Amino acid sequence: MALRHCTKPIDGTIPVQALLYDDEELLTTQEGVGIYEGQQKSPEHQNGTVHISTHRLFYFDAQNELSHSFSLGLELIIRTDYYAGLFTSSPKVTLYLAPSGLESDNQGTETDLASESWECQVCAYRNPPGLSPTAARVCALCGVPQSSISTTERSILPLSKSLPSSSSAIPELTSPDSIACPACTYFNSPSSRSCEMCLTELPRQSNRLAMKSAPTSRPGSPLDDVHVMKLSFRKGGDKPFYAVLKRSLKGKIWEVGSGSSTHNTDAPSLGDSHLIRKSGISGVLHNVQSSAQGQDDNLKDALKDLEGLMAKAQDMVRLAAELNEKLTASSTTTTLPTNGVSSSSTIALTPSTEPEEATFIRSSLSQLGLQMTNTPVTLDMMKDERKWYEELARELAGVLQGRQGKEGTGIMKERGIIALDEVWGGWNRARGVALIPPSTFLLVIPLLPLYTNPTIQTRTLGSGLTVLHTPPYSQAAFSARLVGYLSLAGPRPTIDIAMEEEISVSLAKELVEAAESEGNICREDANTTLIGGGGVGGAQLKWWSNIFEGYAWDGQVS
Amino acid sequence: MTLSTQTTPSGFLLPSIHSAPPFFTEQPNPTTQAIATDHWIRLILTYARHRKLFSLKVEDAETSGNDWDEILKNERINRKMLPSHLSNILNAMVKKNVAVYEPPKQTHSVVLYWRTPEEWAEALHEWASSTGQLNTIMTYYDITDPPINSELTNIPILLLKKAIAVLTRLGKAQVIGIAEGEGVRFFAGLGNK
Repeated sequence: MALRHCTKPIDGTIPVQALLYDDEELLTTQEGVGIYEGQQKSPEHQNGTVHISTHRLFYFDAQNELSHSFSLGLELIIRTDYYAGLFTSSPKVTLYLAPSGLESDNQGTETDLASESWECQVCAYRNPPGLSPTAARVCALCGVPQSSISTTERSILPLSKSLPSSSSAIPELTSPDSIACPACTYFNSPSSRSCEMCLTELPRQSNRLAMKSAPTSRPGSPLDDVHVMKLSFRKGGDKPFYAVLKRSLKGKIWEVGSGSSTHNTDAPSLGDSHLIRKSGISGVLHNVQSSAQGQDDNLKDALKDLEGLMAKAQDMVRLAAELNEKLTASSTTTTLPTNGVSSSSTIALTPSTEPEEATFIRSSLSQLGLQMTNTPVTLDMMKDERKWYEELARELAGVLQGRQGKEGTGIMKERGIIALDEVWGGWNRARGVALIPPSTFLLVIPLLPLYTNPTIQTRTLGSGLTVLHTPPYSQAAFSARLVGYLSLAGPRPTIDIAMEEEISVSLAKELVEAAESEGNICREDANTTLIGGGGVGGAQLKWWSNIFEGYAWDGQVS
Repeated sequence: MTLSTQTTPSGFLLPSIHSAPPFFTEQPNPTTQAIATDHWIRLILTYARHRKLFSLKVEDAETSGNDWDEILKNERINRKMLPSHLSNILNAMVKKNVAVYEPPKQTHSVVLYWRTPEEWAEALHEWASSTGQLNTIMTYYDITDPPINSELTNIPILLLKKAIAVLTRLGKAQVIGIAEGEGVRFFAGLGNK
């Protein structure tokens, strides 16, 4: 089987979690998957479970899990295709695999590598087992590659030569494959990704070429070795699986993370360059670049979410329009019979509440700004807004004066004048839910005289305090009453007037001052006291009926 | 509460409004205050004429024991005029041309015109002719402090000059510069050279 070149047999009896490297993460699992090799079904792998990790793809055969299970390094996958399936044909994911330079004996050593602990020759750090091969190949402490001498003669040999601890740099200089650093012209090992002198990244193309040719002198073009493997999803789950696979491939954890690659000959140099990058100026630059990349990705994701939201908003607007149409339809049907049987009070009650609810829903929608994009709804809403305010005014009148039918206690049942804030608070307390914002409240207030009996009017006092009042508390009525009171009871301070009118002192002060500005009364300041007395800052004001008005001079004439 | 007129020790008949405490308070309502101010001006001028007082100062409302006590204070109702109120009334008087600030360029002291300069001119001429002092050169002092008290006793020089100026225009007087200052000569009437 050609796939043997790429895949690695595993013991399928072991749970997948146990097979993962320390720095590997399981992403998704899918049952009922069959494997195609090229265009043919692979008879040994027809029913199994496929796991995707950050580094590898695992296949666990359902029948013969011990011998037919295998793993595949994701770095081998060059390209993927997705086929949605047709009739009896199951959905398939096609994986195009890069040629693998692995020989069967190499696989063996790698397994050893990954599972053995070793001591770094440079810093003598004892590297623990369990890491993925790439990560295990370099010292976790100092980042120096594990000396190839201790293991096998492999691709890391030329690189290790360039290290100071290694024997000589001469073969490297003469090496035809060596890469000249674009910054300092130092000839680097073909397996290096960044310059050993200045850490500048080396040209990638030549690097890749070097990687292809340098480690194993395998002949032939890489294109000839492209293998095709298909995963056939007999029990579905193909779409989420493919999405995860794509993401995992895009993520290239085995390359950018603490690299772990199962059986790629490039792995050592990849790991090296990665670790070197981490520790120099170019490492800092790389970090900046990668974080910028991450931010960019996040931003793109967020924008995608926003687009999704906008798409949903369109739906919502359409929904609102439909709802509105339905409401209009139902209200017309209910209002028609109402005209006929308006004499019956019980039936008249029901339609009166229904439009209220409908109006409420509509105005809620319009308050959400949903009518903005749809012109017919806007017009409809505008009409209904007015109606809504009228309904609110009626409701507020009920709150203020008590319902006509039942003997309710309105806020203004006993009091003729009341400040606007108190009305607002009382009204919202009475409503309990769907509270009225002050802006709406202010729009409702002017409609109030139409629905109240006796008429409740609005009045703004000198200090800017706005009050609602019944006719006895209009300016003229109050002034007349005040003058009568003062002429009967004599001069009185504000507090006495407040007590007489049963209103708060500050409110009385406002009303009295309004009466004064009308010229109905005049004041006496205790500061004019000749001996003793005197109040602080006009606190000792006494109010007189206007003694100047109609006064005829009765003093000395000549 | 009914208010009644009152007669002061100096024999001045106070109006009933003088017994109303609000009369001593400045009213914020401009209409009401205008009425009150009018009454105050009339009271001040009448009293000034009664007592032959020529000047009124804001300080008169602050101190006691001066000529204006009887009207700026009312001990029966324990009320007094506040200086700021009086200052506003003086301002109103100047605006109505029944007083002028004297000395000029300040606002807390006025000379009262309880007679207009024309009325004073007439009184002056009458006095001069009745005392047989026509065609005689007189100093201002001779007029303001005559041996026998007259209406013109203690008249402020400012007012006197204005009255003389009125007479000069009518050809009934002539201002003459003399060694000690200025003198005046009164004539019998028009055409009298």
